[in-house]
Amino acid sequence: MATGEPYAVEALQVSKRFGAQRALDGVTLRVRRGEVYGILGPNGAGKTTLIRSLVGLIVPDGGTVAVLGRRMPSLDILARVGYMTQQAALYPDLSAAENVRFFAEIYGADGGVREALEFVDLWDRRDSVVSNLSGGMRTRCSLACALVHKPDLLLLDEPTVGVDPQLRVQLWDRFQRMAREGAAILVSSHVMDEAERCDRLGLIRFGRLLAEGTVAELKRSAGVERLEDAFLKLSESSAA
Amino acid sequence: MSRRRVAAITRRLLQQFRRDRRTLALLFFAPLVILALLGYLLRGGGSVPTMGVANLDTGPLGGVVASQLERSNTVSATNMSQADAETKLHNGDLAGYVVLPPDFSAQAQQARVVAPDVRLEGSQPGLSGSILQAVSQSFTALASTAGVHFEPRVTYLYGGPNFDTLDYFGAAFVGLVVFFLVFVITAVAFLRERGQGTLERLMASPLRRPEIVLGYMLGFTVLALIQSAEVLAFSLLVLHVHNSGNVALIFILEALMAIAAVNLGIFLSMFARTEFQAVQFIPLVIVPQILLAGIIFPVSTEPRLLQVLSHVLPLTYAVEGMRNIMIKGADLGWSSLQLDFGVVLGFAVLVILAGATTLRRRIA
Ligand SMILES: Nc1ncnc2c1ncn2[C@@H]1O[C@H](COP(=O)(O)OP(=O)(O)O)[C@@H](O)[C@H]1O
Ligand SMILES: [Mg+2]
Repeated sequence: MATGEPYAVEALQVSKRFGAQRALDGVTLRVRRGEVYGILGPNGAGKTTLIRSLVGLIVPDGGTVAVLGRRMPSLDILARVGYMTQQAALYPDLSAAENVRFFAEIYGADGGVREALEFVDLWDRRDSVVSNLSGGMRTRCSLACALVHKPDLLLLDEPTVGVDPQLRVQLWDRFQRMAREGAAILVSSHVMDEAERCDRLGLIRFGRLLAEGTVAELKRSAGVERLEDAFLKLSESSAA
Repeated sequence: MSRRRVAAITRRLLQQFRRDRRTLALLFFAPLVILALLGYLLRGGGSVPTMGVANLDTGPLGGVVASQLERSNTVSATNMSQADAETKLHNGDLAGYVVLPPDFSAQAQQARVVAPDVRLEGSQPGLSGSILQAVSQSFTALASTAGVHFEPRVTYLYGGPNFDTLDYFGAAFVGLVVFFLVFVITAVAFLRERGQGTLERLMASPLRRPEIVLGYMLGFTVLALIQSAEVLAFSLLVLHVHNSGNVALIFILEALMAIAAVNLGIFLSMFARTEFQAVQFIPLVIVPQILLAGIIFPVSTEPRLLQVLSHVLPLTYAVEGMRNIMIKGADLGWSSLQLDFGVVLGFAVLVILAGATTLRRRIA
């Protein structure tokens, strides 16, 4: 942070309970612009809850959340954030292009519909009604909706579920390119091999951030060769 | 056919309902409410149509007929002057009156014919029918003993002899059809937005809550206005529903109801989790209103207690407004129509505010 620029995401000691269920338990997390940050953890670890608290959909019980230098919730900041929900949230009766255009307008973006649809390889299917698209295509359309306004911070909740391996590789290349161009990207995943492509990783389990660092740092600190093993080892040692 | 598989489906269904207490409550509660309401409406000692008797007869027979009418239990008849009766007819206090002319007894004895003037308010066919029936009954004693012919001269303040049940219901339904369809469609569309996750997306966007409400309102209002125009045109041009009023005025009242319906849909959808639950508002909110708004049973003949309820329901005023315009040819100079418009407008404003505030609170 040599320029003194604020973090894209700065979550401090964020906690959230649902009844007796601790979904988040004092999570502290910082994401800079220009990096792809992966949140890795099994189902129910608290990934979605963390992301929802970043866009103000959830008000944390404790801790603070700042996005692009501003305390959340802030509508002005939300215009610079892209959010892709875990389940593809689209209007099934609209075409792919109509969906993307709708979100472009909501976010005050001029154009960019074609670029976004090409980014996810859906330009050819732009006139298809969403209910006629395959599951993977819907996921991609949902992604296009999240990035059509060229956000400074992109929050992606398990974006590659159901996307075939070839396109998945392509998407990750593009996430990295967007980061190089200055965006901050926060991606959640429960798939280990994807995590290898993140600049930094946070391992989350039972609502707690167990470890954080680059893939190499995590492997080194666990003293293992594979990321899976690192994850297992680190969660065992924190449970102990 | 496997009994086990069929049983599995049945069990799953019942299990599902056990979790959905609300649907279950509705299933067993709503029919009782509706039937109780209907029972009370029909057997709760509702009042009978009121009519006037102006007895100008110089002979004895007029008095006989008048007292016969006053004793009738199908109408509530009161003696009054003809001028009084005409005023009360215009005010809506009487459903009709009968005039027994000065030469009533003389005519009956000499010409063997009785020809009373029966004047009916005419906007409610059911009430007109009751009065005509009561009047003719009061003459039957006379007719059978003296063998006189009964030839009433019937005139109408509104409508006329050709005015039928469709004319009466049509006026109310023009507004109602639009109101209920728009309400259901808005509520379901709004819940679908929540179910498919797009509402979550909108909430994470820079959209402000009032923008969402206003956008929804405008979108559905466009649809509702087109529907209103269509329903109105069909009723007037194809069904030839009686209309003595200004078409623009009917359309404005319809449009007000449509706008209220959109916002009522948004507001009530806040109290439902699923589209399924939204549909449940129909027996709970809509059917009682149909029973009580004077659409089928005139409010003036309801039991007193229900009349109070009817006068609280905004729909009562909407229905009355429609009838005021279409049947009576009312314009905005009429104080009764001003009241109808005022209540419907006030209701629309109220649900707009309610929709906007609950939406804000619920989503936050
Ligand atoms: N709205 C909610 N109501 C109740 N419990 C919830 C809610 N959202 C999440 N949870 C619980 O919080 C925990 C974390 O959920 P989530 O953040 O969705 O996990 P992940 O996205 O990592 O799979 C889970 O145990 C889940 O059941
Ligand atoms: Mg999740």
